[in-house]
Amino acid sequence: MNKKRVTRLAEYFFTVWVIVTLNFLLPRAMPGDPFLYLSSDVGEEVIFSEEQRQYYLAYYGLDRPVGGQYLSYMSELLRGNLGHSLYYNEPVSHIILRRLAWTFFLVIAAVILSTFIGTVLGSISAWYREKWLDKFLFFNLIIMSEIPAFLLGLVLLFSFAAGLGLFPLSGAMTHFAGYENWWEKVLDILHHAFLPVIALTIARTGGMYLLSRNSVITVLEKDYLRTARAKGLSEKRVIFRHVLRNAMLPIVTRVFLSLGSLVGGAILVENVFAYPGLGHLMREAVMVRDYPLIQGIFLVVTICVLLANFIADFIYGKLDPRVNDYSETYGG
Amino acid sequence: MAGVLKLLLKPIKTIKKFSLLGKTSFIVILLILLVAIFAPCISIHPYNVSSGPPLSPPGGEHPLGTDELGIDLWAQICYGARVSLLVGFLTALLAALGGGLIGIVSGYLGGWTDKILMRIIDIMIVLPDLPVMIVMAAFFGPSLLNIILVLALFSWVFPARIVRSQVLMLKEQGYIKSAETYGAGAWYLIHRHFLPEVFPLVAVNMVRLTGRAVVAEAGLSFLGLGDPTSKSWGLIMHHAINFAGIYFTPFWKWWLLYPWLALTLMVISLAFISRELEKMADPRMGR
Amino acid sequence: MTADGKYLLEIKDLSVTYRAVHSPVKAVDGVSLQLRKGESLGIIGESGCGKSTLALGIMGLIKQGSIEGEIYYKDQKLTGLPEKKLKKYRWKDIALVFQNSLEVLNPVLNIKEQIGEPLKTHYNLSPPEIDQKVVKLLEMVGLNPKWRHYYPHQLSGGMRQRVLLAMALSCDPELLIVDEPTTSLDPLSKNEIVRLLQKLQKKLGFALVLISHDLGVIKKLTSRVMAMYCGQVIEAGITSEVLKNPMHCYTRGLLNSSPNLFKYKDLWGIDGEPSSGNSVKGCAFYPRCCQGEESCSQTRPLLKYVALERMVACHKGGIETFLRAEGIRKTYKLKNMEIEAVKDVSLEIRSGEVVALVGESGSGKSTLAHILAGVLPAEAGRVFYRNKKVEGRWATKMIGGMQIIFQDPFSATSHRMKVLDVVKEPLDIIKRGSKQEREEEAVKALQTVQLPVSPEFLDRYCHGLSGGQRQRLAIARALVTKPKLLIADEVTSMLDPSTQANLLRELKGLQNRHGFALLYITHDLHLARKVADKVYVMYKGEIVENGVSFEIFESPKHIYTKQLLKDVLSVSRDAPGS
Repeated sequence: MNKKRVTRLAEYFFTVWVIVTLNFLLPRAMPGDPFLYLSSDVGEEVIFSEEQRQYYLAYYGLDRPVGGQYLSYMSELLRGNLGHSLYYNEPVSHIILRRLAWTFFLVIAAVILSTFIGTVLGSISAWYREKWLDKFLFFNLIIMSEIPAFLLGLVLLFSFAAGLGLFPLSGAMTHFAGYENWWEKVLDILHHAFLPVIALTIARTGGMYLLSRNSVITVLEKDYLRTARAKGLSEKRVIFRHVLRNAMLPIVTRVFLSLGSLVGGAILVENVFAYPGLGHLMREAVMVRDYPLIQGIFLVVTICVLLANFIADFIYGKLDPRVNDYSETYGG
Repeated sequence: MAGVLKLLLKPIKTIKKFSLLGKTSFIVILLILLVAIFAPCISIHPYNVSSGPPLSPPGGEHPLGTDELGIDLWAQICYGARVSLLVGFLTALLAALGGGLIGIVSGYLGGWTDKILMRIIDIMIVLPDLPVMIVMAAFFGPSLLNIILVLALFSWVFPARIVRSQVLMLKEQGYIKSAETYGAGAWYLIHRHFLPEVFPLVAVNMVRLTGRAVVAEAGLSFLGLGDPTSKSWGLIMHHAINFAGIYFTPFWKWWLLYPWLALTLMVISLAFISRELEKMADPRMGR
Repeated sequence: MTADGKYLLEIKDLSVTYRAVHSPVKAVDGVSLQLRKGESLGIIGESGCGKSTLALGIMGLIKQGSIEGEIYYKDQKLTGLPEKKLKKYRWKDIALVFQNSLEVLNPVLNIKEQIGEPLKTHYNLSPPEIDQKVVKLLEMVGLNPKWRHYYPHQLSGGMRQRVLLAMALSCDPELLIVDEPTTSLDPLSKNEIVRLLQKLQKKLGFALVLISHDLGVIKKLTSRVMAMYCGQVIEAGITSEVLKNPMHCYTRGLLNSSPNLFKYKDLWGIDGEPSSGNSVKGCAFYPRCCQGEESCSQTRPLLKYVALERMVACHKGGIETFLRAEGIRKTYKLKNMEIEAVKDVSLEIRSGEVVALVGESGSGKSTLAHILAGVLPAEAGRVFYRNKKVEGRWATKMIGGMQIIFQDPFSATSHRMKVLDVVKEPLDIIKRGSKQEREEEAVKALQTVQLPVSPEFLDRYCHGLSGGQRQRLAIARALVTKPKLLIADEVTSMLDPSTQANLLRELKGLQNRHGFALLYITHDLHLARKVADKVYVMYKGEIVENGVSFEIFESPKHIYTKQLLKDVLSVSRDAPGS
């Protein structure tokens, strides 16, 4: 562990602390009496009952001094206690754990698919630069890259699920289905996840395509590629060991950096397909003003994204030998 | 007078250089802008009160049909354009001003100020913005102003980064260094050298920020977290998709389709315009 | 294998055309060369002359362009060979040491992998074998084997150059092409790399094609050399000969711009820029050539033998000889005594060349100068100006002929004449053009020597001018006939050091710009050392030594020259503050 890694780690801890503290401050910074708040939704005005109001006041310990509140909040958090949901009458962490896997599933599937497809198409495009195939891919993917995932999801939902009936309209599994064997269950899950994953993937592939195309083109013009060719290496080795190995670097960075926006997309897409992940849960929580649950989800999602980025930093350091050496000269 | 004329001519010249796709996009945005401005004139029906039978299909009295309360969709879309454009533009403006300022300060001062600001930017870029926006909207109430503020809070990092790197580059230029040797102060350098150089980049970036903000607002409204008093396109879609049995009726063919179409057209057009502009600002980007 | 073909590498009429944005650029234009086993060939030229493209062309690495002509390696035609087959030759037979840059090595692979990967591809060695070989290669190029675990960015420029060399030698190529091995290196690492290359070539016996614009490196490492201009070979020959006696104006220009060949001489670049397009119909160098004539722009000169082992592409057969003197003799009779002022002197001055005639006072320099210019008749011997025997005054009374400037500025111009009249006098005498035209020419000549041209000055009488001004005036008068050869007899000796410095620089500058030849007669070795391309040393009426200036000044052979240099240069070195 060198100095650079340590400072990086410290930065992540600091970020986590900022988010955790923000999470603590939010309900306390609410304008007016927070728990008299009215729902936004037109038509349905939810007014907190006195009972609920008292519950929240006690729950957040708003009657105690702020310092003490903060300490107990932090210690509870360290013990893994994210609070208690009033609506579900269950610890927040339990609810989140139940739903987390579905979101993970969507996000990871979309990341893998979009990165793979985007990189392959981007490399092909770069290789056949300015040929018709490149132009064709470029034009189509550039349009795809600009449509937000949930708008795409709506199209998919109404055409393939509602219109053609090829896919289920909502959920992650068929309710009360008695599966004969395990792969029938897997198939059912895949059947349900197909459209949401496709929506997320399509929305992301364009960006990955553009990035990898650009990246490969840049690498193709580098001096070291000429060196590699001069050495009489096989085409395979030149492409994989020299071109892709270098072109990969910005792609890896982007995969993780854009995770935040992908999570945002996933939240919306889950709501389009009523997919029982964290995004859908979050909306439910917002609708019923289940503050501890909202906060819990927020905390889990942000920390997951941060964690993923920390891993990315680590991987990147392994992939690019230059990173750790330049820290001294360029100050990171 | 001539200066003003030149300033007016410049964007026209820029647009002339657009590709066909870019020109089309520009016309689309221009149309949406006109619709937003003249919304009261071009929609006969009110956008918030029922004016006909509920869920009537497009045609006749209601060119785009009505929703479940019998409110004219065309009117809702016209007024929705106002919301989208307002949110998009104000967010972009706020983010560009704030981000631009922070970028200049960060790049020009360097040292600790720069380090701290860069760390904050690093964090903001990594953070998933939608969950934060949802939380903020949930706690602070979904007014249009709050939405704009939250969106701007998450958008300033992009212009800030662009401006900072540009200022860092400019700082190394001979003419800045020589101006400094003549005793030029920070304010002089900023308004005389940095701002003119940085402005086009920020202006280009603003188009992209507008697009982002429009999408984000639509997403929040779609989740039911938008300003309930403003009929934005996302909110129309929110109501449509939450209408029980929407999948099994033909209502979505207008209720959902038209706001969807309007939103997609606008987002894509903005994206294309910003792509064209970016390509002009840096020819290497669009190859 | 080489039974039939005597050459390891043979290139026939190779052209490389890049498909550029606007118009195609012909980077290599009809180059032919032959290289035997173990031979070394240098390729010199300004940047952009096509040197590196030629190297890439030999390797078959031209991507964005088309190739015409043929390349043979051991009788195997490489041009037109499919990529797959070509790969077998690359590196295993022909390897290339690329020009050093940060990105010439893959930044994310360590040194070992990059040196080792051709071994894997061409010999299919196992990892331990590769490691062994990499260690051996690194040791061979004088690099600690531990570096094989490092990455390119962790290496210094000199180390990277060694790695590039080790990489190129990994498959024991028979032909090594080295592209600018010493650019961007400090002098110390540069010398080390040159010595390393020398050692390795001796040890491994590969044939070497060395591309460099550093003539010092070329001189040390190659036996033959080719000079390229605009993608064409304009001169080829034995390295030492070419560097000593370039036969093409361009090659000479390269030599004159090289700081490391002869340290004391001033640097003079070649005027102008190489033409970028390939639309040039005639000689590509014509626009910058000092001896170019209208006819040069009509047809392209072919590379032809002009001497043994020397080829030049020039319509005039290389640098023209302007003045040739053979067996000049002159004896002065003083009372009963006969003084042999000039004894059987022969000399040669070529176009655009600065020849210094040095010697102590009374050695006969001025006499010789006067004979050459036809001021004094010779007793024996002949003088040829542009291959025509000089008889009478024809060579000095023409436009574009020969002119002499005398030592004493005060006697050289009449003090009773006005400035303008002095300068236009030669034109008046040969009756050239109208009065107006003559005056214009005179004014131009005055401007060239940086004298004022105000009516007031033109109207002044010479006796009111300083020595420096009058010497300039004399030069202006000589220049007004646009001479091709200027004989300057101690023109600065009567002037103070500052005026002398100004005048001399001006003269050399004029010479570089207009490209006339200059016979510069002086007793001042310091001055001669600064300006001369060639030196004739005269002692008691005889030329005791002559040759290229750096050879004469750095390793004189004749005892008199040695003595002269020792006296003059050591005195000045010892004298404080001189």
